[in-house]
Amino acid sequence: MGLRIAAAAEAVSLVVLLVNLVTLHLRPVTQLAGPLHGCAYLAVIALTVASTRAGRGRLLALVPGVGGALVLRFLARTERASPTGGRGIASPPRSRHIR
Amino acid sequence: MTAVLLSIHVLAAIVFIGPVTVATSMFPRSARAALAGDGPPGAVEVLHRISRVYAVLGVAVPVFGLATGAAMGVLGDAWLIASLVLTLLAAGILGLRVLPEQAVVIRALRGEAEVAPRTVRGLSMSSGLFALAWAVVVVLMIVRPGSTTGV
Repeated sequence: MGLRIAAAAEAVSLVVLLVNLVTLHLRPVTQLAGPLHGCAYLAVIALTVASTRAGRGRLLALVPGVGGALVLRFLARTERASPTGGRGIASPPRSRHIR
Repeated sequence: MTAVLLSIHVLAAIVFIGPVTVATSMFPRSARAALAGDGPPGAVEVLHRISRVYAVLGVAVPVFGLATGAAMGVLGDAWLIASLVLTLLAAGILGLRVLPEQAVVIRALRGEAEVAPRTVRGLSMSSGLFALAWAVVVVLMIVRPGSTTGV
């Protein structure tokens, strides 16, 4: 749910920034949409790290603009492949956590 | 525009980081009670959820802080760089220590893992360090040693 929102915000804010860049180039739009895009980008990375341990999924989160969408597609695929696959929550606890 | 960015930055710090500080500091006590069997495990789950969700939302604070700093042209100031380093430290403590160990406690409450008393004690300490780190950042933001901009 959170990842879905962050992915949408990441893509939409980038589109706003680029459209603004080639049209009116208003400074307030850049100043507001820029940090929003940054937040969404970092949120996608944080939420991906929290929801999957797969290195490929985590790398996809780093892709600018569409990283969130790519991760969502990746998670949907791994889920279909195996009901517990890719999800950190369902995987067995790591030994270093048992102290 | 600087005022708008600064307002968002401060509001996000209060609304997002405040609850994380409270939830992480309350977590060890509730966890100890629940693990001993004389506290509701639901409360522990709620505290973990608040810590986790608001930690992600808290990303907005440094991002809008950087935007404000850039708009004010103070990104190179020593007080700001010190704050950034401390913010990274606080984020590291939260993301790499507090949240994963909270998750271990949650799994232990569901009977999926074992948890040693040391983990809960460690959680008290790392939560305290997180609160201390960001309290120092707040003081740096107000005192701004060496700064000449009076906002």
